[in-house]
Amino acid sequence: MSHVVQPLDQPSNYKDSQARMDRNRQQDALSKSTTLYIGNLSFYTTEEQIYEIFSKCASTEEGGGIKRIIMGLDRNTRTPCGFCFVEYYTHAEALACMRYISGTKLDERIVRCDLDLGYKEGRQFGRGKTGGQVRDEHRQDYDPGRGGWGAQVQRQEIDRRKEAEERYADAQDGPGAVAGGGEDWKDNSVPEPEKTLKRERSVDDDDDGEREAQRARTDGDDRI
Amino acid sequence: MSDYRPHQRGGGRRRYHQRDDYEDRKREETPEQKTRSAIIKLGEVDAVEELPRLAAQLAQPRHRVPAIAEGFRIGVTEQPYKIPYYAALLHLLHQEVKPKDEGEEEHASFSSLGAAVLDDFWRGFQGFLDKLAWREIRCCIQFFAHLTEAGIVAPDSMVSLLQSFTAVLDEFGASYGRAKRAALCAAEGLMIAGYTIKQADPDKATSMIEAIQSYNDGIITTKWIVQPDGQFSNEQQASQCGAELLECVLSALKELNALDFTTTFIPRPYCDYPSLSSAEFSYFRLPSILVAPEVIEVETISTSTGEEIQVKKEEWPEYLLKLFDSAITPAAETAPGYFVKSALIDIVTIFEVNRKECARLLLEYPKWTVPGTFKPKPGVKQETSGAAVENNWELESTIIEIIIGAYLRLPETSHTAVYYVTLVTDLCKLSPSTVGPAVGKTIRKLYGLLSDGLDVDLSRRFTEWFSIHMSNFGFAWVWKEWIPDLNLDRDHPRRHFMRRAVELEVRLAYHDRVLKTLPEPMQDPEAAVISAESPGPNFVYDEPGKPHYDAAQTILNLLRSRTKAEEVVEQLDVVKQSMETSEDEHIADVDGIIRSIVVQSLLSVGARSFSHLLNALERYLVLLRHISSSSEGVPNKEAKADILSATSVFWKNNQQMVGIVYDKLMQYQIVDPADVITWAFERGHDSDSGLRSTTWDLLKGAIDKANGRVIIATRKLNVLRKEDEERRDRAKANAGGAMEVDGDVKPVDEKTDAENAALTNAVKAVDSLVREQKFALSSALDGFVNRLTSPTSAAPKVILQEEWARRDSWGSSEWIGWEAWGWYRQFCRFYAPYLRNYQATLSTVSFAKLETATDPSSELVKRIWNVATGQEP
Repeated sequence: MSHVVQPLDQPSNYKDSQARMDRNRQQDALSKSTTLYIGNLSFYTTEEQIYEIFSKCASTEEGGGIKRIIMGLDRNTRTPCGFCFVEYYTHAEALACMRYISGTKLDERIVRCDLDLGYKEGRQFGRGKTGGQVRDEHRQDYDPGRGGWGAQVQRQEIDRRKEAEERYADAQDGPGAVAGGGEDWKDNSVPEPEKTLKRERSVDDDDDGEREAQRARTDGDDRI
Repeated sequence: MSDYRPHQRGGGRRRYHQRDDYEDRKREETPEQKTRSAIIKLGEVDAVEELPRLAAQLAQPRHRVPAIAEGFRIGVTEQPYKIPYYAALLHLLHQEVKPKDEGEEEHASFSSLGAAVLDDFWRGFQGFLDKLAWREIRCCIQFFAHLTEAGIVAPDSMVSLLQSFTAVLDEFGASYGRAKRAALCAAEGLMIAGYTIKQADPDKATSMIEAIQSYNDGIITTKWIVQPDGQFSNEQQASQCGAELLECVLSALKELNALDFTTTFIPRPYCDYPSLSSAEFSYFRLPSILVAPEVIEVETISTSTGEEIQVKKEEWPEYLLKLFDSAITPAAETAPGYFVKSALIDIVTIFEVNRKECARLLLEYPKWTVPGTFKPKPGVKQETSGAAVENNWELESTIIEIIIGAYLRLPETSHTAVYYVTLVTDLCKLSPSTVGPAVGKTIRKLYGLLSDGLDVDLSRRFTEWFSIHMSNFGFAWVWKEWIPDLNLDRDHPRRHFMRRAVELEVRLAYHDRVLKTLPEPMQDPEAAVISAESPGPNFVYDEPGKPHYDAAQTILNLLRSRTKAEEVVEQLDVVKQSMETSEDEHIADVDGIIRSIVVQSLLSVGARSFSHLLNALERYLVLLRHISSSSEGVPNKEAKADILSATSVFWKNNQQMVGIVYDKLMQYQIVDPADVITWAFERGHDSDSGLRSTTWDLLKGAIDKANGRVIIATRKLNVLRKEDEERRDRAKANAGGAMEVDGDVKPVDEKTDAENAALTNAVKAVDSLVREQKFALSSALDGFVNRLTSPTSAAPKVILQEEWARRDSWGSSEWIGWEAWGWYRQFCRFYAPYLRNYQATLSTVSFAKLETATDPSSELVKRIWNVATGQEP
């Protein structure tokens, strides 16, 4: 802990408008979080580009690594809409990204990292009125990387866009739509007890999650 | 929300947030915090001007001694560049006396405020000593040394303090890290306070220097293994681009000793104040201390067989990078050079928590040095009369040399490597016109060293730095200046660098973006700098004319339509049968073909993105397990190698994807780390790709995975053990109360049994993972030994000195052989903490066939191993 400067790995003031946790529990969750919200991505940035830069903070030798990446999609068109979640196996890796990756460029845009409470179903979709992120609803500037492109954009940009558009055409929602990324090592020689479907559901799951999400979508509370 | 009003929705929330923030901010600073921050902020404008004002302010009754001392402690240990000014401040505080009637008892018995503060400060230093917080200790010693020069601390007590640190060098079994840090403490104290110390007793200074010298003389060989450049078989060859830290310290000390420690390069603002000679003043005598013994902080893993495994990161000698002429950047072997470099390294280390602030402080560093240390900024006129020294170094080149030097430390960096990369990026953003050229010069210097023996892992890090840096600055590099090097051999380190750098740039951007940054001769695929096309998948069954097209289409369609894994397994048998009974051709390895088809098809379905890959793998884990085991269901090494091969063929144009797929195949336990390691070495025999950085990346991924698993399992086990202990204690306590009623104890026992099962399982898991780890390490060692001593490879030849001398005429096989040695050395020193645990077993097995061999390559293989694992001095 430094007394002279403010460390960069502190969570921001952002609060997920749909997360219903009190402030202390949220802070507690963030202090163990292994997930990062990444903002200000280009719509064309691929998961592999994200993987490459975020793997610089992975520490496999400590039992870490990138568990999964969840691309933020426009809820209507199922195309990337400029944000994602990167989930690691350890908290230290997420902190390292806050210190060393946040504020640097990926695909020629300055990306922003924030510690996140963890991915929950439905959060992969934009919450803006038209399906993307809320910030792109109100944005006044011309941003070629975030849908503000026209004829003047070079052909290769169009090709990339096409590729990017098709990539997630098969995206689904509902449980199991997003892969887990693999759990810690288990001894396979010991057969696991059969899991019933009922047990898959965690206590934290909201029955009215969907309804709640619908209501909150226009809250205008997502990040840059 | 009961008072929910629709029209206020968004705004209401926002206001709520703001109130939260406001409450955070408005939390008042306590008086103690105010005192501390006044001290911490000393010198924000002009330290010399501020000092008398601050001293007078601190003498006011509202500032309490403990808070002032804490401010000093933070200031000294977190802003060491201000230490001379803190010494001056304490000097001034020795002239301040607080009104004694104010009831501050802790202050009452002291002759001055300064004496009270120093007494409290010392107690904090004791705390650092007990914790062995080395950086804090070292900074405090610098502070005491300045106080000695300022006439506050008694010189003989300073000598005793420093001698307590040189005494560490004589301790039996002190680790290198402990000895090095103790030596630095003594040396830096001596550099600053040497003048006074030598005046008091001329022999003490010399004897301390001799103590460090004799320690340093005993550690020659380990230096050779972490030298940033040089030949593999020449242990005496000095580095061209670095100087070892303790060597630098010693030569700086000797230089100063010859001058009787008169220095002009250390700021000493207290020298301008009248000396403290009032009747009330007496020297502060530093109490005698003992450097606390070393606490071995390791995670001990004890397996059920009683084996104790410790993972302890040994410290190695440390080289300071030197790329530029001494007129441009300071040479650390000189006293002024060491002083500046060590101060900059401290800033880089301390401010790691906030790289942006770190960048700013680095650029502001000259204001804490004596005039003439650095070249003045363009436009600022140098005061010719005020310059105490005339070094005129280039600030930006010095800073970049320091940061990149820390980034290129062997065997690994002290912070996550990307920190240094980002720090350079932030410096460039702060002052593009001055830092940019320094970065360019550094890149050119390192590029030049590539074929002069720069360590292969350092080349790899250089390539990574280059690509990440360029991706932050529009990929603008003047590639055309390297066009002439396209005439070098295809596998010459410079051409390898270009190819790898471009490959990494493409990963961070995309093929066409990087292509257009290259000059025409490099765009040509023949130049082997960039591939002709973007690195896409290679599905080998994609056209009707290709072998097994129909079978592959059947499987691919099943996977595409998300058919259940069990059904696909059934279909495999059908396909297999039709292949076996096919009359058109005889297929030798039907199982191998089936594996290839399954893996290629699965990867094809998952080729769209990392998430698609994960989804495909997770959906078909049953299928993957089916093809990776033999018909009896036991794991099948050959099958696993086939899976890895099919993957490397599918992603043959994209090394990043190979790494990602392997990582997840290990994560899902389809293959084991040792499978990947064995495969990585064997592939090299089939193709001429050799053991290069791409192979190293795969090896490292697999070894790290094996090591990481042991760590996680051990942590879990330790938690369970602790819980178990607590439970036993509780049970004991309960049983104590219920002694007479035997029946009552029973339920506790039952519960313990269930918990014990978890503990037993955890122990088993650790056992099994430790075995896997051992197997992974031994597979790697075997692979290296076979490769390096193979008579068909160029590796045995390239280590000969006469061969190295004529490396200009080397071809691909020589350069590839040379690189293999580099990775072996990195393997030994980087994984030494793990290898040491199994040193005897591993070397007995892997070196069996080399036992009697005396050829240079067998000797070198053993020598590197022995030095890295601490078997030879």
